[in-house]
Amino acid sequence: MSSYVLRRLLQSVIIVVLIAIAVFIVLRLSAGDPARIRAPVFARPDVIEQYRRDFGIDRPLLEQLGSFLWGAIRGDFGQSFRFQAPVMQLILDALPRTLLLAAVSLVLSLVVAVGLGSLAAMKPRSIWAWLSSALAALGQSAPVFWSGAILVLVFAVGLRWLPSGGFNGPSSLILPAIAVTLSILPTQLRVLRASMEASLKEEYIRTARAFGLRQSRITFVYALKNASLPLLTVIGVDIGYLLGGVIVAEVVFAYPGIGELALVALNARDYPLIQGITIVTASTFVVVNLLIDLVYGRIDPRIRLERS
Amino acid sequence: MSVAAAETTVATRPGLVARLRLGPALIAGIMLLALIILSAVLAPVLAPAGPAVVDLGSVRLPPSADHWAGTDAIGRDLLARMLYGGQVSLLVAGAGMIGSLAFGTLMGMLGAFGSYWVRAVVDRAIDIQLAFPYVLLAIAITSAVKPSTGVLILLMVLAAWAGAARVVRSIALQERGKDYVKAATVIGASPFRIALFHVFPSVLPSLLVLAAMQMAAMIVFEATLSFLGMGVQPPTPSWGGIMLDGKNYITSSWWLTTLPGLAIVLTSLSLVLIGDGLQARTDASRSREGDE
Repeated sequence: MSSYVLRRLLQSVIIVVLIAIAVFIVLRLSAGDPARIRAPVFARPDVIEQYRRDFGIDRPLLEQLGSFLWGAIRGDFGQSFRFQAPVMQLILDALPRTLLLAAVSLVLSLVVAVGLGSLAAMKPRSIWAWLSSALAALGQSAPVFWSGAILVLVFAVGLRWLPSGGFNGPSSLILPAIAVTLSILPTQLRVLRASMEASLKEEYIRTARAFGLRQSRITFVYALKNASLPLLTVIGVDIGYLLGGVIVAEVVFAYPGIGELALVALNARDYPLIQGITIVTASTFVVVNLLIDLVYGRIDPRIRLERS
Repeated sequence: MSVAAAETTVATRPGLVARLRLGPALIAGIMLLALIILSAVLAPVLAPAGPAVVDLGSVRLPPSADHWAGTDAIGRDLLARMLYGGQVSLLVAGAGMIGSLAFGTLMGMLGAFGSYWVRAVVDRAIDIQLAFPYVLLAIAITSAVKPSTGVLILLMVLAAWAGAARVVRSIALQERGKDYVKAATVIGASPFRIALFHVFPSVLPSLLVLAAMQMAAMIVFEATLSFLGMGVQPPTPSWGGIMLDGKNYITSSWWLTTLPGLAIVLTSLSLVLIGDGLQARTDASRSREGDE
């Protein structure tokens, strides 16, 4: 078991380093000269040269890569062009809000997937089954920014119940979280429903029923334990998708998180900031994926045995 | 879909046509999609005006008999823009779908039939790709190169190939353990020959489902990137781009964002219905729940 953890840990580190190198190379080779972007439009050549020295881009590429990686390890991604502040500081300000929105959406989606998916599996001809199919199809078809726009129109503009954007307390989370949930729900709903249908056909369920246990207890306690395993895998696979949805929702709702920051950085051609955001976010995903893998091993003893 | 049903389909392997029995969802999806494609193709005939005809005398008019879908901030007819935008969105999404399926299938096959190192590299590549949020990838790349339709299609392929590769690889891995593959190996067929002539036909039904699902995803993806300003560039109309134009008027002119969005939702919904219908029929196991 511990050798497995060690191997996965090493893999994760390698992936993060590869991503960092790829981001550095892509941006450095194709983005053009940061000094020209940063310097005033009609700057004299010696001024531009001064900027180059400040950024350290007058040195050989490999040396730059080395110092970039060394800085990244210590959490130093340089200064943001746009905000004139350390990149890491800006990211640390925004990341918690992004993770909060992602976590709330994920929990909401899981609750709906488990509840609705189980009901649909239990009663395949009920309104729940229909609702679960409809939600899955709609969620898969509707872009986050469209459902976001509709939510704003109905609940912020029309009914005036909730704020249309920004971040002022928990009520600001509700609409973005619903929009994100709708986009990540379909896969979870389908997977849970299918695995629950399979679980309910197992022998031990029939035994439980023969012992006279209530159907709700059988479904949500006994069958759910096995049925939730595929769901966990799906969460791991969909983490990138989830954060993608969160980023879009942040833009629609002007929610001050990583996504908003990234788009501002993109429009301002703020390369240090883009670099930092990409690497920090990618690392976050790798860590989350690693955690899910490890949790998976803990929950299902069969996998643990197989691996050791 | 039940496990038992999956086993019988695999065991009997009827022909593709026999497996394409049409269900109600499938028929509804196909008809809806046909309608949407037809209206996009016939845009020059159907549209009340050109997509770029500016009329500053009728700015942001709500839907009416003259302008069925209203007009935008510089008085262009929204219905015309949506019809022409459909051409762009469908073509771009189609290109992205074909590209990601082709590349994904190639990688999936390599992941199942390649040498040890090739398989390891493909595995890692799929992991990295799936772990990476596509919007961030798009932001990183469009900050490096100017956004254009070509870049957009490339982004789509980059974002979506891993999903296809995972499905293809898991099916190919399942097939590889079967007797007919062993038999082919015994008589000396090369891995390349086995992959192409023996295993690939088993992947085809799933590819059909994937094509519908990926196309739905690509419609949404194109719209999302264009909405963020990283996709199809103005003045070319695309559904996401039209929504971006209307973004600032969301509170005052609801039709500018909701109607193009509805076009996206309906198109994607028709494809999801087709995908679901095909899946129910062919019972192609898109291994959602991880492979091995």
